[in-house]
Amino acid sequence: MRGRPRGILLTLFLLWLVVYPLLMVVLDSVRGPSGWSLAQVAEFGRTPEEWQALWGSLWISMVSVVFAGAIGIPLAFVFERMEFPGRRILGALVALPAVLPPLVGVMAFLFLYGESGFLSRIVKGAFSLEDAPWRLAGAPAILLVHAYSMYVYFYLFTRAGLAKVDSSMIEAAQSLGASRSSTLFRVTLPLLGPQIIAAALLTFMTSLGSFSAPYIFGGGFRVMTTQIVSTKLNGNDAMAMVETVALAVVALVGLALFRWTSSERSVAAVGKGAPPARKLEQPVARWLAAVVGWAVAVVVLLPHATLILISFVPMRTWTTQLMPPVYTLGNYGALIREPERLRPLINSLWMAVVATVAALAVALWAGRAIVRRRVRLARVIDILTNVPWAVPGTVLAIALATTFSVNAPWAGRWVLVGTFFILPLAYLIRNIPLTAGPVIAGFRQLDPGLDEAAASLGASRWATLRRVTMPLLRPALLACGALAFATAVGDFVTSIVLYTFETRPISVEILSALRQNDIGIAAAFGVVLMLVSAGAMAVGTSR
Amino acid sequence: MTFLQVVNLTKRFDEQFAVRDVTLGVTRGTVLALLGPSGSGKTTTLRLLAGFERPDTGQVLVDGVDVTAETPVSRRFGMVFQHYALFPHLNVGENVGFGLSGRSPEARRARVAEVLALVDLAGFEARAVSELSGGQQQRVAVARALAPEPRVLLLDEPLSNLDPSLRERTRRELRAALDKAGVTTVFVTHEQDEAFALADRVAVLRDGRLEQEGTARELYDMPATLFVATFVGRASILRGTLIAADRARLAEGVEWPVRPSSNVRQGGPVNVVVRPEAVRFAPAGLPGVVTECRYTGARAFFQVEVAGGTVELEAPIDGARVGDPVFLTVSSAHAFPVEP
Amino acid sequence: MPKTLSRVLLGATLFALACGGSKGPTPLVVYSPHGRDQLTLMEKTFEAANPDIDVRWLDMGSQDALDRVRSERANPQGDVWFGGPSTLFIRAAADSLLVSFVPTFAAATPERARGAGGFFHAVYETPTVIMYNSDAVKAADAPKDWDEVLAPRWKRKVLIREPFGSGTMRTIFGLLIQRGMKSPTDTGPGFQWLRRLDAQTKEYVLNPALLDQKMVRQEGVISLWDLPDILQEQKKGSPLGYVFPSSGTAVIEDCIAIIRGAKHLAAAKRWVEWVGSQQGQLLTARDMMRLPSRTDIPDDSLPDWVKMVRAEMKVAPMDWSLLADRGADWMTYWDRNVRGKGR
Repeated sequence: MRGRPRGILLTLFLLWLVVYPLLMVVLDSVRGPSGWSLAQVAEFGRTPEEWQALWGSLWISMVSVVFAGAIGIPLAFVFERMEFPGRRILGALVALPAVLPPLVGVMAFLFLYGESGFLSRIVKGAFSLEDAPWRLAGAPAILLVHAYSMYVYFYLFTRAGLAKVDSSMIEAAQSLGASRSSTLFRVTLPLLGPQIIAAALLTFMTSLGSFSAPYIFGGGFRVMTTQIVSTKLNGNDAMAMVETVALAVVALVGLALFRWTSSERSVAAVGKGAPPARKLEQPVARWLAAVVGWAVAVVVLLPHATLILISFVPMRTWTTQLMPPVYTLGNYGALIREPERLRPLINSLWMAVVATVAALAVALWAGRAIVRRRVRLARVIDILTNVPWAVPGTVLAIALATTFSVNAPWAGRWVLVGTFFILPLAYLIRNIPLTAGPVIAGFRQLDPGLDEAAASLGASRWATLRRVTMPLLRPALLACGALAFATAVGDFVTSIVLYTFETRPISVEILSALRQNDIGIAAAFGVVLMLVSAGAMAVGTSR
Repeated sequence: MTFLQVVNLTKRFDEQFAVRDVTLGVTRGTVLALLGPSGSGKTTTLRLLAGFERPDTGQVLVDGVDVTAETPVSRRFGMVFQHYALFPHLNVGENVGFGLSGRSPEARRARVAEVLALVDLAGFEARAVSELSGGQQQRVAVARALAPEPRVLLLDEPLSNLDPSLRERTRRELRAALDKAGVTTVFVTHEQDEAFALADRVAVLRDGRLEQEGTARELYDMPATLFVATFVGRASILRGTLIAADRARLAEGVEWPVRPSSNVRQGGPVNVVVRPEAVRFAPAGLPGVVTECRYTGARAFFQVEVAGGTVELEAPIDGARVGDPVFLTVSSAHAFPVEP
Repeated sequence: MPKTLSRVLLGATLFALACGGSKGPTPLVVYSPHGRDQLTLMEKTFEAANPDIDVRWLDMGSQDALDRVRSERANPQGDVWFGGPSTLFIRAAADSLLVSFVPTFAAATPERARGAGGFFHAVYETPTVIMYNSDAVKAADAPKDWDEVLAPRWKRKVLIREPFGSGTMRTIFGLLIQRGMKSPTDTGPGFQWLRRLDAQTKEYVLNPALLDQKMVRQEGVISLWDLPDILQEQKKGSPLGYVFPSSGTAVIEDCIAIIRGAKHLAAAKRWVEWVGSQQGQLLTARDMMRLPSRTDIPDDSLPDWVKMVRAEMKVAPMDWSLLADRGADWMTYWDRNVRGKGR
């Protein structure tokens, strides 16, 4: 089996899918009106605002990692290691920012913490202020949104890691005389290293590609994602390509650095499992923990509540009042009654399903190739499935729009822009790293003998996949499939560039509703997205 | 009549021979053991038979038909894996019925019950695999492999995962099941006891080569090579010269009778292999000093240091004490000359 | 595994085809910034008279529309681009993105409404005005001209629509830059003025809806915006007022054009003709506060506001080609050297 050039088809497919479009963008960035030219690149290098935008993207991402970690890691410890009333339900509620797609979350923040949002109005009223107490704009606003939506990565990853840390290691440290805090810093946290690094990577990449928050709250604050869009809107396509390449380079360097760091320190802690949660003995402490827990949950759920509330508010009935004066079901009625509003809902759902199924298929294909058949290109395939991590949505959208607006089948290019293939394709590419990682890991844990056993019992490859591999990978497939589905269904960044009439998704419809000042409709769409994501997550975590 | 045949089978991994020019035959309905230390190529041979690996050269024939190019799926061989590879998401009945997908549900249920009864697990259909003991899991694996009525049954170290206390019983049960099923069987083991107890014939492999193939008795009594002699049963080796077809001269001019053999050139150097039960203390013979004495009930194993090596022998416990100078003689039936 | 993948892709294709491939009326895809209300109204009215055409509009900013038409050049998906200032259409025509088509109503419009080469035509005139919150600011106190917006009392009370995605804002900025010009390269005074405006500006607002919302909620009380939007908001009860700048205002020629490579050319022509017909112009004038570009509609059928606006409005002279040509550079310069620098 070895020595034969297996995996070439998969490698070529992934190259075409994730690398080729990026290459086209790189080529376009050094192509002038008359042949090759570095003029645009030089222009980029000369312009301080471009560097400002690049630096803005970078430091926002790094600070987002710090903030999200500072919130998520302690929360994980509290909910994993302390026993108090309501721990289970609160522990689940705290993860709920994950069900708010980026655009929807930003919208909820606007109505909640924006200048004329609930909270601002309340504070303004309570202290009889002349003006709104704060402005939700610029870097602080972006960081607030990022910290809120991304601490979940740290929270979930750390909890998962804590659940696996061997209790005997903690006991060993304590028997060696280490205090509780030195056990934490010298044993527990280092053991959690891989999980924390993974969460940091996810946060960093998501922040770097974050579009909705800077788009809506950025004001004059420059980050690369919004810079690319405004350059493109201004008609300077070549410069937009250079900016796209610059952002992609930063992202790829980031990915490489993170991977290098995590390969330096892969600590495997396999053992008898985590110690049970510590029951807080003193009633005061228990209740204090519970109160803090509920308070955190309330803060976390405020955006969701805001969104639900707004979705019942008819258009233009809420102006300067503290709370909206009228509530009806009209907005939801409009979603169902008006076919042109229902259509985006159906579009988003089918495209997300197709993209998710395809991404799972690619993941299974890659998992089989890497783990089972140990093809020579395994490393390459592994890296290729990770590349879309490092490609911010804006970059991917522009890359696809560039690559697939030309008909050159011999070069692997077809006109897909403006057809209904392009959005599912974009979602698929963004979903590949989400599905490939867990599925490959799942394959590694499967006994290879099971495949051979099935083969020796007369099961074909397809039957083995269906009857053995997929049922065994079911938890991983469900979990990453749900995540991929939720990501695709809530996608805004790539959709806004690539949608057509046939494929306009919910997020574009939300933006359109916002353009019309139909905040109730926008919120109703947001609530639907939130429920769909929550449903998917519930399926994904069911065992 | 030879049912399964292996002809000049060779397989290399990264320029390293795993199996080298192995030729073997198995008679229909009999059991062959592939015996060898780890790295001897026995598992690779089994996997080549199963079709999980493709040979570089050579053929596998079933009933005279070449199946070398066929996939594991189309060979219709049953396989029992070392770690059983039971599907953890299926219960016992579903595991055993896995290979019966072509049949009607009733036929399937009947066949599952039949093979489960064969391995003495009747009524276990609904049990979860994780609830079973190691021995039961092993028998489920055998039942699963037997259910589709394979042409050949292959077993990879079938007993190695069991507690030593369980092994003997399971071995007997396995042999009984194989006899009842009457299927042509090849299994891999590194334990000589297991090979002898389960198999009709044993093939000894070393470094990818077939050293010798035969019944247990043939291997024990007439080892073809030094390796077989020492790997199969206990043996001591003494260097000497073959002075006649049935005599070897050892150190200090002592001459011992050996079994006549055509393998060794007369007058040339020879290794004389002796089984412990063939050596006796005697008033005269090969001189040596007892260095160790291990009691096993009424008899004991003695280690005797002689010129040019150590000889192990079995004798009544009062035969000698550690430190005694002794003389050794041998019965020619259990002393074989082997080419050095 | 490749088999699995191909099955999935095949399934997806069939599903998509099942969803997309409907027989029946000719679909007509319209890219337009005119908003759901107006587009729905026009779609219903038009389809009632033309049952063989199914109008499918996509709501997007006018800059977005240009960007989209440009990126779909190889495989155009839209048929008609409906709405946006002539500056954008001039650029689109220069990039060969449009089809030349002279509709019958062209003769009934003033010279300034006819695009060069017949590639596009103005169907509405959109005057830009100073907007204020009429709850917070009395009509008498509102700025009467552009320069009064710079008065200290409006410091940090001005909201400006984020100009990059907005044809309206680009036109207003273009006027403000051109006002101070003595030669086509003399942009200094204009940018100096915009720098002072930046100092007055509390926030650049992402889209028109947010602008209206923030104005209504009094997050800011003064803005520069277009008249039809304000009139529509007024009709819905929003407390917004407007002033025509006394020194003259930019009137945006709001155009329509057929996209080159349109798949439904005949239907596109019928739509363009209908939008510019007396019936179509009156519909949008009455219900959507769009100022008709054609001048041959009898006075007695026009709504009162049209007559009032036509009487009140003073059109400032503008070099539209210069704006179309230099506009992008001006915006880049503004973005790099003016935005946020007045603080």
